Amino acid sequence: MKRTLTTCPYCGTGCRFYLLTDDMGKVCGVEASTEHHISRGQLCIKGWNAYEFVNHPDRLTTPLIRKNGKLVPSYWQEAIDCVAKRLKEISEKYGSDSLMFFSSAKTTNEENFAMMKLARAVFRTNNIDHCARLCHSSTVAGLAASFGSGAMTNSISCMEKAKCILVIGSNTTEQHPLIGTRIINNVIENGCKLIVADSRAIRLSRFAEIHLRHKNGTDVALLNGIMNIIIKEGLEDKEFISERTENYEELKKTVEKYTPEIVSEITGLKEEEISEAARIFGESKPAMIVYAMGITQHTHGVDNVKSCANLAMLTGNLGVEGGGVNPLRGQNNVQGACDMGALPDVYSGYQKVTDEKVRKKFEKVWRVSPLPDKPGLTATEAISAAAEGKLKALYIMGENPILSDANQNHVRKAFGNLEFIVVQDIFPTSTTEFADVVLPACCYAEKDGTFTSTERGVQAVNKAANPPGNAMDDWKIFSEIAIRLGYNGLNYKSPSEILEEINSLTPSYAGITPKRIKKEFLQWPCPDENHPGTPILHKEKFARGRGKFHAVEFKPSAELPDEKWPLLLSTGRCYFHFHTGTMTRRSKLLDREERFPYVELHPDDAKKIGLADREYCLVSTRRGEIKAMARITDMVIPGIIFMPFHFFEGAANVLTNNALDPESKIPEFKVCAANIRKIEDEGINIC
Amino acid sequence: MKALTSAEMKSFLKSLTGEYDVRAPVRLEDGTRALGHLDEGRLAIEGGPIARKPNDIFFPQFDVILNAKGNKFKVADSLQKPLFVIGFTAEDCECLEFVDKFYSENFRDEIYFAKRDKAVIAAVSGKCGKDGEMLKIAGGKCDLEFIYDGSKYIVCAYTLKGKKIEEKIKCEEKSAKIDELKKLSDSIHNEDLEILKKAGELIRKNAVPDDFWKEIANRCISCTACNIACPTCTCFDVCDHDRERVIERIRMWDSCQLDGFMREASGHNPLGEEYLRARRRIHHKLAADYERWGHITCFLCGRCDDVCPTNIGIKSVNREIVKRFG
Repeated sequence: MKRTLTTCPYCGTGCRFYLLTDDMGKVCGVEASTEHHISRGQLCIKGWNAYEFVNHPDRLTTPLIRKNGKLVPSYWQEAIDCVAKRLKEISEKYGSDSLMFFSSAKTTNEENFAMMKLARAVFRTNNIDHCARLCHSSTVAGLAASFGSGAMTNSISCMEKAKCILVIGSNTTEQHPLIGTRIINNVIENGCKLIVADSRAIRLSRFAEIHLRHKNGTDVALLNGIMNIIIKEGLEDKEFISERTENYEELKKTVEKYTPEIVSEITGLKEEEISEAARIFGESKPAMIVYAMGITQHTHGVDNVKSCANLAMLTGNLGVEGGGVNPLRGQNNVQGACDMGALPDVYSGYQKVTDEKVRKKFEKVWRVSPLPDKPGLTATEAISAAAEGKLKALYIMGENPILSDANQNHVRKAFGNLEFIVVQDIFPTSTTEFADVVLPACCYAEKDGTFTSTERGVQAVNKAANPPGNAMDDWKIFSEIAIRLGYNGLNYKSPSEILEEINSLTPSYAGITPKRIKKEFLQWPCPDENHPGTPILHKEKFARGRGKFHAVEFKPSAELPDEKWPLLLSTGRCYFHFHTGTMTRRSKLLDREERFPYVELHPDDAKKIGLADREYCLVSTRRGEIKAMARITDMVIPGIIFMPFHFFEGAANVLTNNALDPESKIPEFKVCAANIRKIEDEGINIC
Repeated sequence: MKALTSAEMKSFLKSLTGEYDVRAPVRLEDGTRALGHLDEGRLAIEGGPIARKPNDIFFPQFDVILNAKGNKFKVADSLQKPLFVIGFTAEDCECLEFVDKFYSENFRDEIYFAKRDKAVIAAVSGKCGKDGEMLKIAGGKCDLEFIYDGSKYIVCAYTLKGKKIEEKIKCEEKSAKIDELKKLSDSIHNEDLEILKKAGELIRKNAVPDDFWKEIANRCISCTACNIACPTCTCFDVCDHDRERVIERIRMWDSCQLDGFMREASGHNPLGEEYLRARRRIHHKLAADYERWGHITCFLCGRCDDVCPTNIGIKSVNREIVKRFG
């Protein structure tokens, strides 16, 4: 028996546990860290089962190359040669921007940095992105505009110190369970006043002072309405506004028209509910806002985020313990992937590619010149570019866009149009079916490196076991490809060496050295080796100087229900699964809990359609139709249905709308017009 | 009686490693106290119950129990060395006694006993709880016990396996103040035990309404930590991995707090409501097991209270039951 301390590979909370390895070197259990400030001996269902998928027989163990239309086993030299050769050919034929790189929020900081470097230094393209585009790109854009830094302003421990918490668009106990339980405990033990704004009756709503079941997509109206009341009743923090913010008068003018009457009409809430929520938040200090993809995955996702920032500034709840605007990142390293520059417009530390001084710095260290100076394609734009024939090759690490991206039929068409696709992953997925080369990668239990949690904390990931077969570290694969193309700048000896390079190039990570992270929990910005890290951002002043209010107007979602498509479809995750289910559906207990695609609908809607609980039905939108099990529940309000997107057998993203937020390019996963009908004359319904 | 200082204990445990697979409480790299090999960290026998239940050594979270190829079956190899495990508390010994009974009555779980039968179980008690508080003396239900008097561990062997270990201890035999320690142990006022008994009575006479269990269920996030932590939880699920036509049969801990635990193929689920599962967790040990075994099968080790993120471990729930319905 051996124990290896590491970081959970699931959500962004950053829990720590020991992986137990048996005498044969197999990972065989999990033991929570009792001393870690987040875990405290506790984990969620996914954490307790995080060992199991590691040994699953489906693991990719050898490179696969498509020959005569079939993926056949190969060996590393052939596979690497193929990848390097084909990408080079395509780059030379169509230009470097005909290539696209999808990095991964599930791999380490070092590996995200390495892929970013591969794209920029070797292939000379800024066409690199990752799945933050699908979840919190609105956060990065919105909070950066308001505060100067697009990250969680406070720490998870602040959840226990807030007098009031507004949870909006976050099913916290399911998506970030050990954050959700802190909220519950704060309510029960300390009398914290909880406001939940979510159309679904999530668990947290059972503890809420008030539960606002507003219509999906009306968050701006709701938040503006709350601010309207706060200003009208003189609950705003005048001193904070005066001393630390700008553009307040424009905000005030805008929210003036969002009276409870108007907001009630837009959101479906009662006027008194809006007023009550405003008074609770406005009269409590410190008060905190917690949000997740319920407000980011909209064509107005950035506006939603800016509205949260507005409310926090209005009430002076920034730079204080127990306050802040706190986006909860959905994946273990999505914060880290953003930090490492796996984005089309920035290098690590959000240093802009358009900044000549920054480019020169990277050119010098990487010994390449010139680096591309134009922002590249986002992941969502890349899909369309492929469909249009402008993008020719795609290299994917640890992502499954066939299942995770909106409007799957559009994605399939796009992928079918590409000349070359590389997928580097730990399991075969829906996306590997399109790949020309599949490269077997190490999972979190088989590598060293770091993850950065939602609270900006950098933590070590440590190797507990050897990978199966010939699976390789992601960063080593990039190194091999680079060598084939004559570039030695990715010839690292270890992840620590990569982190040292990150330290040298990234001011906010300069102090987060390999030596320190062995013993310390460090939250960026950490500008030097003596800096203790930054638990709370924007204390004395905002990163941009003054916090900027934005005058945000409500805009309806891109596609709303009508006569033909009378229901509003929202999609998301369930407790037992993680994203496209690549890992959790290979964990016995987790997969047993939720094995089939399902759709939640209200009893009133079920009655109209004539559906019984657990009856299979057809869910359709303008983009497609899938089969799912009806789950009749008052978790949803009449007129709104909810589907998880984990199941390839009934892929919710066949249905979703790929309309994008114009600024963050995030798809509108949370709103589209749908229909449900019974399955007639098809005999026994077997999924 | 023989007695060992802390330093002597460390040397003694090292001396056993040639013959036994020795597991002892150690401080891991981040300070977590766990039952591990001596080289995993600083020996940390003082401190009371270790966070993870010690009997998982015999019933691991994930265990390959056999391999099958065609008509041939191969049971997993047994341990090369017998286990020597030190660090059980008196409560842990009671839990182990129950689990031994569970796995041997009506059927005998040979996978479990392949490790268990050869193992030597050493309890630790006396003035070595957290912050030096008194830990109850087991006085049996284990092979030997080390009772800390504040400066030395007094050795008490209870079985032949224990006496064999005791004989290996090379130190002068001294008179010990064991009686004083036993008096201290007997004088420990266990309020939780009284509450446990009272809660059990209330549950068995159906005095706890469904609404109470709904309140508890509201706070439960189904993380399953209570079952993972509980030394008397024995439920497991089985799955088979097909590795190139070699079937690997695995059993893993299950949890009655999961919807799938009792869900039938038709979808019907006797425990389909959250409050029923929340109730079952407590009811099983305080009522159902009481009827079956003649005693409550919670021995108040406290682990489920430590690992529950929303503070609804069994001690907490019992206190609430007695407070509201007692």
